[in-house]
Amino acid sequence: MKPRSWLTLHGVLVLLFLYLPIAVIVALSFNESKYGVAWHGFTFKWYRQLLEHTRIHPYVWNSLIVATVSTFVSTVLGTLLALGLARFRFSGRGGLLFLLYVPVVIPDVVMGVSLLLFFAWVQRLFGALHLGLTTVILGHVSFQVAYVTLVVKSRLAGLDPSLDEAAADLGAAGWMRFWRITFPLIAPGVAAGALLAFTLSLDDFVITFFTAGPGATTLPVYIFSSVKRGVTPEIHALSTLMILITTLALIAVQRVQARR
Amino acid sequence: MKKLIAGLATVLLFVGMAKGELRIFNWSDYIPEEVLTEFEKRYDVRIVYDTFEAPEAMMAKLQAGGAREYDLVVPPDYYVAEMARSGLIRPLDHGRIPNLKNLYPEFQNPDYDPGNRYSVPYQWGTTGIAYRASEVEEPVDSWGVFFDPAQYRGPFLLLDEMRETLGAALKYLGYSLNDTDPVHLEEAKQLLIGAKRRGLGFAGSVEGRSRLLAGDAVVVHNYSGDIFQIQEEDDDIVYVIPKEGGTIWVDAFAMTSGAPNPEMAYRFLNFLLEPEIAARISNYNYYASPVQAAEPYLDEELLADPAVYPPAEVRAKLEFIRDVGAALERFDRIWTEVKAR
Amino acid sequence: MNRRASWKQLVATVAPGALWLVVFTLVPTLLIFYTSLLQRDPHGWLTGPLTLENYLRFLGLSAEGFDPLYLNILGRSLLLGLVTTVATVVLGYPFAFFIAGSARKNLLLLLVVLPFWTNFLIRVYAWIVIFQRKGVLNVFLDRFGLDPVLLYPSWSAVYVGTVYTYLPFLILPLYASVEKIDWSLLEAAYDLGASRFWGFVHAVLPQTLPGLVAGVLLVFVPAVGTFVISDLLGAGKAVLVGNVIQQQFGASRDWAFGSAAAFVLMAVVLAGLWLYARWTGERGMEDLV
Repeated sequence: MKPRSWLTLHGVLVLLFLYLPIAVIVALSFNESKYGVAWHGFTFKWYRQLLEHTRIHPYVWNSLIVATVSTFVSTVLGTLLALGLARFRFSGRGGLLFLLYVPVVIPDVVMGVSLLLFFAWVQRLFGALHLGLTTVILGHVSFQVAYVTLVVKSRLAGLDPSLDEAAADLGAAGWMRFWRITFPLIAPGVAAGALLAFTLSLDDFVITFFTAGPGATTLPVYIFSSVKRGVTPEIHALSTLMILITTLALIAVQRVQARR
Repeated sequence: MKKLIAGLATVLLFVGMAKGELRIFNWSDYIPEEVLTEFEKRYDVRIVYDTFEAPEAMMAKLQAGGAREYDLVVPPDYYVAEMARSGLIRPLDHGRIPNLKNLYPEFQNPDYDPGNRYSVPYQWGTTGIAYRASEVEEPVDSWGVFFDPAQYRGPFLLLDEMRETLGAALKYLGYSLNDTDPVHLEEAKQLLIGAKRRGLGFAGSVEGRSRLLAGDAVVVHNYSGDIFQIQEEDDDIVYVIPKEGGTIWVDAFAMTSGAPNPEMAYRFLNFLLEPEIAARISNYNYYASPVQAAEPYLDEELLADPAVYPPAEVRAKLEFIRDVGAALERFDRIWTEVKAR
Repeated sequence: MNRRASWKQLVATVAPGALWLVVFTLVPTLLIFYTSLLQRDPHGWLTGPLTLENYLRFLGLSAEGFDPLYLNILGRSLLLGLVTTVATVVLGYPFAFFIAGSARKNLLLLLVVLPFWTNFLIRVYAWIVIFQRKGVLNVFLDRFGLDPVLLYPSWSAVYVGTVYTYLPFLILPLYASVEKIDWSLLEAAYDLGASRFWGFVHAVLPQTLPGLVAGVLLVFVPAVGTFVISDLLGAGKAVLVGNVIQQQFGASRDWAFGSAAAFVLMAVVLAGLWLYARWTGERGMEDLV
């Protein structure tokens, strides 16, 4: 066989591997039977059950609220940080850069646990900051900032040096100049960073798991605890809906990018 | 920019200004949804309901700050004293829970919480072994099905609850499940490590019964009511209290020391003790109710079922798990090791 | 090009983000170290005095002798990371070239990105459905008259789960490099008499290294630190460092020991990161994102 044919065979097998589990879940979400994988007939009842399960609705809201707020905060912080890092020299710059990579590279579980410790100590010492949606948002921003900064910074690296002028005026009543000149030029990078932050937040499980308080359950946390109670077709239905939304979002993003 | 900030602030304010909330932390699948909804309607409050699968995880969450976040929590009887000592729960003002009079006399002053100082009994039941009759060669009647390789009957799940599972090993060895002797505990530990390796690992009650039903596991260590619930769906499932003895337990509602909404919490405690409500809960859960006044409203088959309300000769084989005070630390260490090896 | 910043400029740009990082990344990290030196009190909270006991316990050194329990667990975690990385490279490296040489690049990329964007819990628990006693795999085997295999829970399931979860993490950065390959270098190599194999190794492989190394790091680190995959697919029988840490902050209520374990894991990973940074320089780090 020609090399290309081997490559194609390999490619197809890998694709099958990537999609087998997804296909299984989607298929089972329509299966009549509650247990087992034997096909007992097509039905929408699990979807109906899911929609009627009103206690889940706040989890969807929580995921969206957390993702939106944290993305907003982290994008602002990260963009400014990227600007400063890309244009200026200052003492502590090296240390800050290293600190920036820590959330990106350390295992989730270490970061989650460190945040839990932090919030618990703050609570014990100052009585403030209860575990809840707020702490989840704070936790998410903490890893998002790093990603946004790195994305925007790498886009900045390839830009016109006359931006220097604009950025230099930043601290001295140059906000209008920033908005009119600098920002439009870095907007694609900022958007990319924001998008990355948003998806990371929606998908996050580990950080949320450790920092969530009562009523702060997000969808991934719900899926985890639900799976721990036993896999049910209702969870398959929820998963299928999430996969569908992800697909639509992906296609939309691709369309937008194609038009650029 | 200003509009954006204003908009964001409004959203956050709106989110925070939701109507009064009551935050409950309970075992999963332990209360019928309609009971919660009825309380929400009656008192115009929103119930935030979180669940746990293992009481140790519940304790951890409370210690991490949950004691200031949740209003009500549902520990098993043997943890009430420990939680009181740790300052996680507060003494109850009985004046605000008049329905306490609805309890059976023996629940007015239980051993695990004299005078119900910190807790209100919720449900009680037993823990034993459940298995699929058609897939085992001989009926199961001993904890040895988990701990003795020779008595293996099929893929099994251990219960993810420290005192219950360590207790089962201790009882199999012939000791009390409240034994704190380090040598005995070490023996139990070895048994458990072996069992973990032979079986399918650990599972909470809900997962265990779900996998038993699905055919994934053949034998599980589980609570009585959970099993009775699935027996409705599948009569091939058998529940048995092993010959070495099992546990009898009480789950109770307690109020956290930092409860944000104690007023509503007291109302809920009183609500749970109403005869009709208590009956609805038991009819759903298949557990026994400590509320005497609920008897007229309980399903007849439930009241008559000797598995739910065990007769004296069965009760003789059952032991309560008791608070072991400072020795709990020893149990924690052993459990950590069982999970790690 | 970079100018010395004025105090005002720093406050306007770097200060907020830097402050956030210090408060929510640096301080918590230091807190882990501090907590690792404390001890568990009888009620499951923390108490002094400061001690190295938790680290000694992790290393297995105690009065009763040497017990490699936790070192074994750390070793198993590193092994999982290693095997997962190798497996994803074996599966992903040719796949990146498959995409690059295809007429339907965009479609194929989309097909890889979709699982990448799908919530990873969904992708992990799906394997429970496939591997359980009466799951998809066994139903399939039964159709062909073969004996069922009990892969759930098991280490094999955990390995399959990790490879599956992190495969897109390797393919995507790698593809970024593969896409930019200057094939004329390969032509030149052939002209100089190189064989197919050596031409590839000398002319093409080096060009893929930035993406490959980035991908490897994005697979190895999460794999070593995972607890969800081992918890769901190994059901308490597959214990990794991540599980030990999670357990100490959960049911075991031993935050001091958990912090020590977390610190060890973090130290191991950061050491690797430091080596990577020395080797590739600052530019290499950006390839990660």
